[in-house]
Amino acid sequence: MMDRLDKINIVILVGLLLITAGMVTQHEITAKKQDRPESDAGLVLKKQYEKKIAENAETYKEVINLQKLGHYAEALTKLEEIIQSHPEKAQAYIYKAQLLNSQGNLVESIKMYRAAIEMEPDFVDKKSPLFVGNTVLKLIPEARSKLNREKKLKPGDKMITAALDNIYYLQRRIAGGCE
Amino acid sequence: MARILDLAVITGILLGIGSVLISYFGNPVNSGICISCFLENLAGSLQLHDELRMSYIRPELIGFILGAFLVAVKTRRFKVTGGSSPIIRFFLGFFIIVGCAVFIGCPIKMIIRLAAGDLTAVAAVLGMMFGVWLGAKHIKAGVFLDREKNLPKINGYIVPALAILLLVFIIMEPAFIKEGRTGPAALHAPVLLSLALGLIIGGFAQRSGLCITGGFRNFFLFKETTLLSGVIAFFVTALVVSFATRQFNFGLNGQPASHLSHGWTFLAMVLVGLASVIIDGCPFRQIIKAGQGDIDAGITTLGMLAGAALVISWSMRSTSAGPEFAGKIAVLCGLIFCQIVIINYRTAGKRV
Repeated sequence: MMDRLDKINIVILVGLLLITAGMVTQHEITAKKQDRPESDAGLVLKKQYEKKIAENAETYKEVINLQKLGHYAEALTKLEEIIQSHPEKAQAYIYKAQLLNSQGNLVESIKMYRAAIEMEPDFVDKKSPLFVGNTVLKLIPEARSKLNREKKLKPGDKMITAALDNIYYLQRRIAGGCE
Repeated sequence: MARILDLAVITGILLGIGSVLISYFGNPVNSGICISCFLENLAGSLQLHDELRMSYIRPELIGFILGAFLVAVKTRRFKVTGGSSPIIRFFLGFFIIVGCAVFIGCPIKMIIRLAAGDLTAVAAVLGMMFGVWLGAKHIKAGVFLDREKNLPKINGYIVPALAILLLVFIIMEPAFIKEGRTGPAALHAPVLLSLALGLIIGGFAQRSGLCITGGFRNFFLFKETTLLSGVIAFFVTALVVSFATRQFNFGLNGQPASHLSHGWTFLAMVLVGLASVIIDGCPFRQIIKAGQGDIDAGITTLGMLAGAALVISWSMRSTSAGPEFAGKIAVLCGLIFCQIVIINYRTAGKRV
C-alpha cells in the first residue's frame, strides 16, 4: 500500500519524465540543421579531402612536372627540400616512394610507403580518395620475391629482414581490419 | 543435458555464420564480432577517447544485451545478483581489454581470425588456453571471488536501460555522439541487420551460456564438453562460411589487423584467459550476463569500457607494427594484478 510519501515521489518522477521528454522533443523540433554540423560530417569530410588534394597538387606541382619529364633525380632533390621544411606532410613520402620505384629502388620505395601510411592511415582506407593500396599491392610480389632470393643468399642480413618486415606490414595494413 | 548441448552448438553455429557474414555485409574483415573492438568503438563514440576512426556505436552490442535481457525475462531466468568483489571485477575487466588490445581481438575474434586462416591467432589460442588452464588450477585450489547475493530487481534493469539509451543515440544522433567516417568506424553492416543479429545471438547465448573461456575451463576442470562443443561448432561454421564467402586467407603474413609479435600475443591472451576464469566468463559472456541481471558482469562491462577507452588514449595496444611499449607494460601489470588477486583469495580461502 502506497503512503503519502510514495505518492509524492511518483508524482515527482512523472513530472521529471514529462519535463525531460518535453525539453528533448522541443530541442529536436527547433534545432536547425546548420546548428548541427556533425550531421553533415560526410560532406565536411569530402570537402576536407578536396582541399587536401588541391593543396597537394599545388605543393608538389614542380615535383610532379619533373617526374612526368623523367627527371627523377631532380624531382627527388626538390622533394627532399619539401620534406625538410614540412616533415609532417605524409604525401611527400608517397611521391618519394613513386620516384624511388621509378629509379628501380624497390626496397626504399616500400620503406617510404610504410612511412607515409604510418603517418596518414587514410592511404590504406579503401573509402578514402587518398587510397594507394592497389598501387602498393602491385609492387609487393616483385619486392618480396627479390628479397626472399636475397635472404637465401644472406640469411642473417638485418637490412633484408627489415625490408621484408616493411612488406608484411604494408600487406597487413592494406588487408584492412579494425586498426 | 542434451538440450543444453544442442543450444550451445546452435549458438556456436549462429556465431560462426553471423560473425563472418556481418563482415561480408560491411563490418571490418576478420572482425565481424569482436567485443573489445566494439567497446573501443563505443568508447570513441561516447568521446571517452578521441580517435574518430574508432568511433561508432555498434548495434550488435546493444542486441547482445537486449537479446539476453528479453530471453531471460521471458524464460524467468532474469535473476538479479551482485556484490561479488566489484572493484576487482572492474579492474579485471579493464585488464582483459588490455590483453585483447595487445592481441588485437577478443576470444570471439580470435576464433574468427583462426577460422579465416590467420595463423597469427595460433599463439593467441595457446595463450588463452594456458591462461584458462592456470585459472582452472587455481579454482581447484579454492580461489573464488566473494559470493554474490540477491539484489532488488531495479539493479538488473540498469544495463538493459543503458543499451536502450544507446539505441536512442543511434536513432537521434545527438551532437555529442561521434561517428567516424573513415577507418574501422566507417566499416559497418546496415544498422538493422547488426541489431537483429545481436538480438538473435544474444538470446541464444543467454539460454546456452556459451563462453569461449568457459568452454575450455569446464573441460580442464571436469572434462565437461558442453560449452566446448559450442566453441568448436563456432570455429567449424566460421571456417566453412569463410571459405564460402571467399574470405579465407591462409598464412602468417598479410592478415588484417594482426602483428608478428607472437610472444606478446601469447602473454596477452594468457592474461585474457586467466582473468576471464577468475571473473567467470569471457568478454562476450560478461555482456550477456550483464543483460540477464548479473550486476557483477555489469561492473566488469564498465571496467571493460574504461579499458577500451584507455587502451586507445594511452596506446596500450598493438598496431600492425606490433605491440606498443605501453601495451606490453599494461599486459604485465594485468598479470601482476591477477597474481595479487589469486594470492589474496587463496590465503582467504585457507583461513575460512
